[in-house]
Amino acid sequence: MTTFIDFHALHTLAPSNVNRGEDGAPKTAFFGGVQRQRISSQALKAAQRKAFSQHLDDSELGVRTKRIVELVARRMAEIDPDVDSDVALEKAAQAMTKAGFKVTAPKVKKGEEPKPLTAGYLVFLGAHQVDRLAELLVHTDDVSALSKKDVQEVLDTEHAIDVSLFGRMVADDAALNVDASAQVAHALGVHAALPDFDYYTAVDDMSRADEETGAGMIGTIEMMSSTMYRYATINVDQLMTNLGSREAVVRAVQAFATTFVEALPSGKQNTFASHTLPEVVAVAVRDRRPVSYVNAFEKPVEANSDQDRRLLATRALASEANAVEDTYGLVPLHSWVAAVPSLRSEAEALGSSVSAGELIDNLRDVVEAVIPSDKVEGEE
Amino acid sequence: MSTLILRASGPMQSWAVNSRYSTRESGREPSKSGIVGLLAAALGRSREEDVTDLVALTIGTRTDQPGRLLVDYHTAKARGDKHSTLSWRHYLSDAAFSIAISGESGLIETLAEAVVAPRFPLYLGRRACPVPVDFVGGVYDENDVETVLRDFDIAPWLATEWYRKEAQKYLYLPLSRDARPGEEGEIVRDVPRSFSPSDRNYDSRKVVRCEPVRVDNPDGVEIDDPFFTLVKES
Repeated sequence: MTTFIDFHALHTLAPSNVNRGEDGAPKTAFFGGVQRQRISSQALKAAQRKAFSQHLDDSELGVRTKRIVELVARRMAEIDPDVDSDVALEKAAQAMTKAGFKVTAPKVKKGEEPKPLTAGYLVFLGAHQVDRLAELLVHTDDVSALSKKDVQEVLDTEHAIDVSLFGRMVADDAALNVDASAQVAHALGVHAALPDFDYYTAVDDMSRADEETGAGMIGTIEMMSSTMYRYATINVDQLMTNLGSREAVVRAVQAFATTFVEALPSGKQNTFASHTLPEVVAVAVRDRRPVSYVNAFEKPVEANSDQDRRLLATRALASEANAVEDTYGLVPLHSWVAAVPSLRSEAEALGSSVSAGELIDNLRDVVEAVIPSDKVEGEE
Repeated sequence: MSTLILRASGPMQSWAVNSRYSTRESGREPSKSGIVGLLAAALGRSREEDVTDLVALTIGTRTDQPGRLLVDYHTAKARGDKHSTLSWRHYLSDAAFSIAISGESGLIETLAEAVVAPRFPLYLGRRACPVPVDFVGGVYDENDVETVLRDFDIAPWLATEWYRKEAQKYLYLPLSRDARPGEEGEIVRDVPRSFSPSDRNYDSRKVVRCEPVRVDNPDGVEIDDPFFTLVKES
């Protein structure tokens, strides 16, 4: 039995362009035969990961860098100020090579000091893993006596929270890969929509002072306004495998939930400032399989003079949740919904009504019930 | 022998065959590697575990709604980096496929149970494309995937309301399946030898494109084909 936590949200954006393609237009997709706005999964995840630093300590997060040798050597110097910096770099390079990374000397200009060795691509290491490796190296005189297993053990256990949720790929040695425990769908408009063009002119202040007419420059920006359906799910068991500590799983799930609610990609936000929050956030805890309610919107929502789009979208979402229960008997173990007051009665079928804060608090109990305390290792 | 029916539909899916580096294409129908990977995930097998039993299953796919190509422009950049890594990821949006998987009855039963309550979340080719809630169409006492996919009582046409309304009064649905022993077919390299990240390797299989299945569509429109009108008139 695997435990999944499903996150659903309805989120209305004013005209904006938070996630655009190479032509500068907001991303779209066809669903139900009509074009709709789309925010890509990877943009949503990047926004969440960026927001993690506001909710989690840096020591629990990962560092994504090519300069892994320098990173470890600096930490060694912090642990033991007596360590010679060249010795530290040498030891760190040896350890990284041992772990399976190919580290090479970066090219420098003539007359420049040689730089420390770097990996050929970005490596996602947990800050805690860097600490443990630095600690190990400070107390090891002969790094060549360490086995590959010793070093990989440090770099492949107790992963950082962002690494554990979103995964890691290591090109040199696949043994160091981490399977993601979170799955994030592309956000999709619940209704048909097309991009709109904003034609703008910028006035040259100096010319204006001379009473000249005409603009200094002109251009167009594409924008779109939609009510989006967003969906993500966490595999709690996989998260526990990656993190190795129940307390860390609680913090990871809560940080994921908080950023799912609050974080959006930041594209063109200086121009549009569409800093809205979702009108409905629902969580369903399941033990059989994750369930997306996206098909509630296969038939696009059409607002009319009596009923607004947010209300109709909430109704469709609630009726899909009911349909899933009635048709497939997929009743969640727990379900909660945080909705703005005007949508609360429509959202009832999505779970018991709570505030977003309570919803996030409740997730602690869910994780603690799923992961038995005897599994707890390395608890701080 | 029995057959499991799966329904791959939803806003997005992506079934890459032979696709590497910066342009990640999608095939026009679900791939064997995608289906085998999905079944292995449902069973909770790790990437290193053996999948020869799943590879041995016979699969067939029927394109109930072809969908459209969606190209997603994707950039990745780390803090402090000067340049982004670019990629173009192809998806099928708004598509629907009926997938038939046949094999030894015990294994098919196990798979049907696993897909309903999977160990890992299942997705249609890519992690960002979760499977629909009505993904499992049931298990049937029939060993030939083509027979199953020609029978709309067993595998109903999955096209959605809007598609039926816009389509003609009858359509022909493309159908393909693994070649039977001795049969000739198109060679597709999508049979996973292993999903292990250190030893990702594919074998090829022969795929037969069968006679398309005719489906009646009472909700559809009469389309006057200008070509045939002209032929009739002359």
